[in-house]
Amino acid sequence: MNVRRQLGLPLLLLAALAATYLWVSSRQLDSMEARVLNADFIRDAALSHLLLTAVATTLVVLVSIPLGVLLTRPFARPLTPVVMAIANVGQAAPALGVMVLLSILYGIGTTIAIVTLVFSAALPVLRNTIVGIQQVDPALLEAGRGMGMSRGQILRRLELPMAVPIVMAGLRTTIVICVGLATVATFINAGGLGDIIVAGIKLQRTPILVTGGVLTAVIALGLDWLAGLAEKYVRPHGI
Amino acid sequence: MFKPLVLAAATLLTLTACGGGPEPASGTGGELEGATLVVGAKDFAEQNILANLTAELLRAHGADAEAKEIKGSANTRKALEAGEIQLYWEYTGTAWITYLGNDKPIPDPAQQYDAVAKADKDKNGVTWLPASGFNNTYALALASEKATQLGVTKLSDLTGVDKPTICVESEFANRNDGLPGLLSAYGLTVPKDDVKLLDTGVIYTETDKGQTCTFGEVFTTDGRIKALGLTVLQDDKKFFPVYQGAPTLKTETLTKYPQIAQILAPLGQKLTTEVMQGLNAQVDVDGEDAADVAKDWLEKEGLLK
Repeated sequence: MNVRRQLGLPLLLLAALAATYLWVSSRQLDSMEARVLNADFIRDAALSHLLLTAVATTLVVLVSIPLGVLLTRPFARPLTPVVMAIANVGQAAPALGVMVLLSILYGIGTTIAIVTLVFSAALPVLRNTIVGIQQVDPALLEAGRGMGMSRGQILRRLELPMAVPIVMAGLRTTIVICVGLATVATFINAGGLGDIIVAGIKLQRTPILVTGGVLTAVIALGLDWLAGLAEKYVRPHGI
Repeated sequence: MFKPLVLAAATLLTLTACGGGPEPASGTGGELEGATLVVGAKDFAEQNILANLTAELLRAHGADAEAKEIKGSANTRKALEAGEIQLYWEYTGTAWITYLGNDKPIPDPAQQYDAVAKADKDKNGVTWLPASGFNNTYALALASEKATQLGVTKLSDLTGVDKPTICVESEFANRNDGLPGLLSAYGLTVPKDDVKLLDTGVIYTETDKGQTCTFGEVFTTDGRIKALGLTVLQDDKKFFPVYQGAPTLKTETLTKYPQIAQILAPLGQKLTTEVMQGLNAQVDVDGEDAADVAKDWLEKEGLLK
């Protein structure tokens, strides 16, 4: 992988941000636009968006990977279809509906937004962990056992390292889903770039809408790019 | 040959109707025989009820009328101008600010109506029939027990409330005739953290619970105010624009069917903010069909006889 190819995307994203900035600042903003399009408002929205995404993604990793590993153990296999069904429902159910229902039951705020994100974005990591472990060549496991490895050693030294590329692919999907879905957090006072996007729609102000949309896209693509880099570093060498 | 005849007949009918004395306003008849009229509605319950009330009433007078839902204010207005719909109910404040491009509302409802009706007719050829008695404006509301406990009845009482928290949706949070203007008009300062941004539907339930926020942004004709038992604070400094509803139609349509004005007049007189709240609640809270609600109410009020 050459350096120029790795830097292409971040440069493109910076160019998109710069273009949006120049376009917005070249316009005469009316009082409603100025209330949203200022450094404080945008920083708060972007930071809370990143926070929502980061916490939700971390929780997905902490829940989905151990759960995925567990579900590939022989004793837990009967549970696999049940858990997968729940994760599928999570991905299929409209996040906004889930979030509003939860908030009517349990109150509003960041916690409920994060719960919704985890529920909606857990599937890719979970499914890829299971698939990643299942696709390991049985002959390899046989060889491990032949060398006298314990079950734990087989998991740590063979199954998990072999599954890493697939799990990471799932993680990238989860991150992008989280960035997109975090825009609905605005409806329950949980902040995020949805504050900007929804204000743009409701007030029919294109500069606000475009700013929110560009920022969301830049964050999604940027985080996906970072995760792509990480994928290369955590991928075990020599396998 | 045909057209002038119809016009002459229509004029004659109007003349007899005008001269006929007490009877015609509420009675039904065939005065609109042959007229095809589509009544537009924006995409919310109140508008659907209004469109159905209007269409039902026009049908009772012989017209071939139906209600048609359209997404959003701007699209509904465009549909009227393009002739896709022949009439719809509009709010004075919306027309004044959105279509006529003013940024300062007129506090007095009658003056606001007159200004809108005149400007819209002169500029756009849209005629406003006499305004109804309901005003679907913004307001702050709170749970009634809380209102008694805090002793607040009007917006200026907010100055005496310790650390008020307010639930709003993002449009209200940013509009000049929304929260920013409201706070400065009443000389209030509320820290950003005490203003909670929520979806409209969630605001009503959270305001009722009173934990996340004491006060919530509501629309004055919303059925949930009644259903949840919220107390609406009086806008004693008359800050909020007046959003009084009235049927609007192209002037040429009214010239063609002048009877429409008379047929719809009793509707406007009977529709007050409280009546509208009740009708909206039947649709929004009880889940009834807007067309059924409209028909039942017209029958109860004796407008279909």
